[in-house]
Amino acid sequence: MKMLTVAIPSKGRLMEQANDVFERAGLKIERFGTDRGYRGRLVGIENVEIAFLSASEIAVQLRDGKIDAGITGEDLLRETIAPGNDVADVALRLNFGSADVVVAVPECWLDVAVMADLDDVAEQFYAAHGRRLRVATKYLNITRRFFAEKGITGYRIVESVGATEGAPAIGTAELIVDITTSGATLKANQLKILDDGLILASCAVLATHINIANDLRIHRLINLVKREITTLPVSFNP
Amino acid sequence: MPGKSSTHREALERQNAAIMAVFERAGFDQIAPDIIQPADIFLERSGEDIRARTFVFNDPAGNELCLRPDLTVPACRYHLSHTKTPEAETKYCYLGPAFRFPDELLSPQEFTQAGLEWFGDQADIAAEARVIKLTVSALEAAGLTGLKVSLGDLGLFNALLEDMPMPERWRRRLRHQFWRPLAFRNLLETFAKPARGQRTSISTNIDAIDGKDAVAETSRMLADKNLNLVTQRSVEDISARLSEKLADRSEQPLAQEMVQTIENYLQISGSLTDVIMQIKTIGNSPNFAAATAKFEQRITALEDQGLNPRRFHFSADFGRELEYYTGLVFQIEVEARNAPLSVAGGGRYDSLLQDLGAGVRIPAVGCAIHTDRLFAVMS
Repeated sequence: MKMLTVAIPSKGRLMEQANDVFERAGLKIERFGTDRGYRGRLVGIENVEIAFLSASEIAVQLRDGKIDAGITGEDLLRETIAPGNDVADVALRLNFGSADVVVAVPECWLDVAVMADLDDVAEQFYAAHGRRLRVATKYLNITRRFFAEKGITGYRIVESVGATEGAPAIGTAELIVDITTSGATLKANQLKILDDGLILASCAVLATHINIANDLRIHRLINLVKREITTLPVSFNP
Repeated sequence: MPGKSSTHREALERQNAAIMAVFERAGFDQIAPDIIQPADIFLERSGEDIRARTFVFNDPAGNELCLRPDLTVPACRYHLSHTKTPEAETKYCYLGPAFRFPDELLSPQEFTQAGLEWFGDQADIAAEARVIKLTVSALEAAGLTGLKVSLGDLGLFNALLEDMPMPERWRRRLRHQFWRPLAFRNLLETFAKPARGQRTSISTNIDAIDGKDAVAETSRMLADKNLNLVTQRSVEDISARLSEKLADRSEQPLAQEMVQTIENYLQISGSLTDVIMQIKTIGNSPNFAAATAKFEQRITALEDQGLNPRRFHFSADFGRELEYYTGLVFQIEVEARNAPLSVAGGGRYDSLLQDLGAGVRIPAVGCAIHTDRLFAVMS
């Protein structure tokens, strides 16, 4: 029987919550070597190896077929794997890690409410300044798809790896596409979400590679975890 | 397959030499614009859909550069930097590589584009017919048969809108959405049936400027809400759009007959000589009638060039992905394995040179041939 590799986020809240849900499902993770080791074994289902990777690495390795399943954010999955590509997909939505990927603009733009306004603003901006609107984001693909769907083309993406919400105030972009939980950071940076600016209501997901989708061990894993999700209240993200 | 064998390379060169001979014999001067171009002129002009397909990189000083994704913009830049009188009539042709992330079959990352650009042409319709003739001749010289020419005319569409009574800002938005059928239809709907009473998150802001000085009210609202003005949008920019939205509320909706006329126009499709009757049925308002007359003149001009316009296809909704076309647009296709394949395209783009820094509007018409696709389809 082939060894299956299931990946768990290696740090942060997502790691704690992933460990937590596995434990409650009766699945223990035995780390190899030291406490800081990056490999482990799943106790409860035979021949399943655990790999500890960053949430974004998990999405990439799933797409590349280097791991068989993993827990990661749906936002990262959608960013990494194009809609037409069925190499990997969500097997189970988990009840933690909820956050929204949104389009947010400066609150001082009193005349802007919806994506269609951005089209007009882009034209006005180009006429006045000779350049396109800049969107700061780490979600290059998600942004391109959403803006294309809404018919907005007069913009350019400025890649941002951290503190995206600060970009308009600093002057490195005019608007942002970012992930938000409570919306407090957006408010603190005087940004507002467009009325139709919700791109993705994301949460942590258990995703599986298409090649092992029928593996009985994966089915068992999904069923055990699913039971834990439906019997517990939805977790609160403070 | 990476690279070309000597046989492939020689055959491609022979094909392209035949193409360039046609252009040069017609008086077009073969230039070689730079392969490495400043990224901003492409990216600022085309937005993210081109950006996602362009190879962009930085020089050691941090300037953003790119491998040119096409040769029209580089040819324009060449022109503007090599003459003190850019509005003087000039004819260029070129043959060279361009680079894009591939998005379809038969489209390699590095491809060779052959083309011509005619700047400052005084001949208008005659120049357009000549460009189409030269493109067809070049393709035939390369050995192509069974080609099909398709045309569109953005000038006709603009004229139709011009004659319809509606605020200029509505015309502007409709022109802008011409390339996106779904968004266009939705926009037409909102003009015909304004969602009266439908509130959005900024409705109170629009209420606030009603009957007041928009700029002053906008400043007051920003101060009241303790909002900093960030980005380069000014209070005037913001209040101008609030004023437009206020005006939209009491604007006469677009009459159903006008919506129908626009939709009827966009449905027009057929052989170039047959569609004339359909176009005339749309109407004969001043600008549209003038554009229709030009359309008929173009048919004659094409015949004068020895072409057969009866075999050309016209469709009113034909536009190209590049937003800089302003009038005639055309595409030359050939039947390939599964579907028709476009091997050449072009049109009129009268705003581009001015947009790139020329002090005045300079008419321009040109075409480009995708030589690798042409080669593949003839092999």
